[in-house]
Amino acid sequence: MAERKQWKWAADPSLNKMEFTKLEKDGLDVIETIVNTYSKEGFASIESSDMDRFKWAGVYQQRPKDGHFMMRVRIPGGILSSEQARVLAKIAEIYGRDLVDVTTRQAVQFHWLTVESLADIFDRLASAGLSSFEACGDCPRQIMGNPLAGIDPHEVLDTRPIVAELEKFFLLNRDFSNLPRKYKISVSANIHNAAHAQINDLAFTPAKKVMAGEEVIGFHVWVGGGLSAKPYLAKQLDVFVRPEEVVKVTAGVTTLFRDFGYRQKRTHARLKFLVADWGPEKFTEQLLELVGELEPGGIDLTSGWNGGYFYGIHEQRQAGLYYAGLSVPVGRMNAGELNELARLADEYGDGTIGTCNTQNVLIRNIPEAKVAAFREEPMIVNRFKWQPNTFVGYAVSCTGTEYCNLAIVETKERMRSLAQYLDDTVVLETPLRIHMIGCPNSCGQRQIADIGLQGALVKTSNGMVEAFDIYVGGTLEEPQFNRKLNARITVDRLGPFLAQLVTLYKADRQEGEPYWRYVERVGLSHIQGQVDAILQPA
Amino acid sequence: MGEEQAESYLYKLEAVLEEGRLLTVVVIAKTDERAFSSAENNLLRHTITPPRIKELSLVEKKPLGRQGVGYVVETSTFT
Ligand code: HEM
Ligand code: SF4
Repeated sequence: MAERKQWKWAADPSLNKMEFTKLEKDGLDVIETIVNTYSKEGFASIESSDMDRFKWAGVYQQRPKDGHFMMRVRIPGGILSSEQARVLAKIAEIYGRDLVDVTTRQAVQFHWLTVESLADIFDRLASAGLSSFEACGDCPRQIMGNPLAGIDPHEVLDTRPIVAELEKFFLLNRDFSNLPRKYKISVSANIHNAAHAQINDLAFTPAKKVMAGEEVIGFHVWVGGGLSAKPYLAKQLDVFVRPEEVVKVTAGVTTLFRDFGYRQKRTHARLKFLVADWGPEKFTEQLLELVGELEPGGIDLTSGWNGGYFYGIHEQRQAGLYYAGLSVPVGRMNAGELNELARLADEYGDGTIGTCNTQNVLIRNIPEAKVAAFREEPMIVNRFKWQPNTFVGYAVSCTGTEYCNLAIVETKERMRSLAQYLDDTVVLETPLRIHMIGCPNSCGQRQIADIGLQGALVKTSNGMVEAFDIYVGGTLEEPQFNRKLNARITVDRLGPFLAQLVTLYKADRQEGEPYWRYVERVGLSHIQGQVDAILQPA
Repeated sequence: MGEEQAESYLYKLEAVLEEGRLLTVVVIAKTDERAFSSAENNLLRHTITPPRIKELSLVEKKPLGRQGVGYVVETSTFT
């Protein structure tokens, strides 16, 4: 076991219980215990305090709690190699009942793992330069990025080396393995906010500044965003960060969170609470005290928001090369499909695959001469489409009751079939983003959707029926979370209800007006009127 | 897995009454079904005239593993 840190908060008697658990034994130490003990002696040998620490190994009990685990694997910046993809597919095949999920933060998730399999899985991941460590827990999580980094015509610099440096700096770094709570970083130089800056704890977005007569490309910094039951948009700091300063600034912000973040109450521990309390000015002052002077903010290079979608086959920054943005309905595939994706990446691209925060994938660096053949690949025609239908293409879903202990309703298969139904029922040529979640934690990022669906169970004369609350008008273009309508729709009516709601929008909207903007224009009470009319018994 | 071995949850339910009022009910139960029946029982115990419930829904559950798990029931909006 590594030397124990003498944390300055250790003497505080008002810490929450989890803080004592973390002080007793660092979360990262559980990895060794899993490998040397639990994976050999089985589920029954797991001590309950270590069960909490399993998250630092990237592992979480799944529902029902009968000895199976889910595992999250980090895909730094959302780019992996075909070789890594094959290793992931193999793990899913041997241990994970053939199931691979792409998450809303570009990670990959497995289910059905047993503790006995974990040591071997860690080895297999390491052999491919992958890791599940610190993918859950109170530590720096998967780093979100631009899956097109390096090839993106809409980025101002290649962020791959920065993400790699951050990953190297933080992963298994015991200076930062005991944060007050989960900590989510995003780095993107895409001008369309590809990595959802405002809903991360710390985010870097593209900026420029003229200094000493020279124009420098760098970043602006956002802190304190987060969703869950009380969502909060990140605040921008008045600093300009050169690319080579990103790691230093990240270490600084993370140190502030570590040392000043609130540890008395877990529900008040995310960075957003400290940021809301201090305000951006004091936060900046404290940051500069730690990291030294930084330039004040420059010119924002962000314009609009692409929602994290890259569908189609598009020219890259490099002439003659193309990338293909492909749809993976609600992010779920099997091992065979992931292997096939790896083959496509090797045969047509440069052997890299992008994972998107919309639970989709992309293939990079396809030479022009190969594009035509690529389009004809059965997997591309039939399964991972580059021109998906509107609703299937823009549907996002959390895990739901299938595997999640906190879920109230089933979500994943429901969202998939709901999107299919809407595509069969309403023709809409423009994107309409629908996100479904099974409880208020919002893993499926309900708040930023055009239409957000949040699960509830309703008691009827026929027993319990799953239902959804409806939220409308979320976006990060002019950042605004969606707002709740007065309507709890049981699942038997959900499809027809949404079809009617969307049809009303289609008839009323102005040219190219996205749903969130339409909601803003006509007003929430107008939409509520539409809902009441739809729900009026005939 | 048998129902009896399941862990307990703190459930939050919402009851919409015929007259339009909303009541929030918080109960401990091991299954969603029991959460509903406990909520109904609590509603009955709370009222002299049985409330005419138009809709009863379960909206959140939290595992009881940690001390202090609870809910805030909003009667006006906060940021
Ligand atoms: C199945 C087991 C899972 C459990 C038990 C779980 C639990 C949670 C909890 C408790 C929160 C609220 C955190 C908070 O209060 O700060 C949360 C938030 C979140 N989770 Fe999950 N989650 C699971 C799976 C997932 C999956 C599959 C994804 C991705 C698709 C995901 C992505 C997120 C995101 C994006 C948030 C919001 C983060 C934020 O507040 O910034 N989680 N999850
Ligand atoms: S939103 Fe709720 S139900 Fe869905 S995966 Fe997250 S915790 Fe589970």
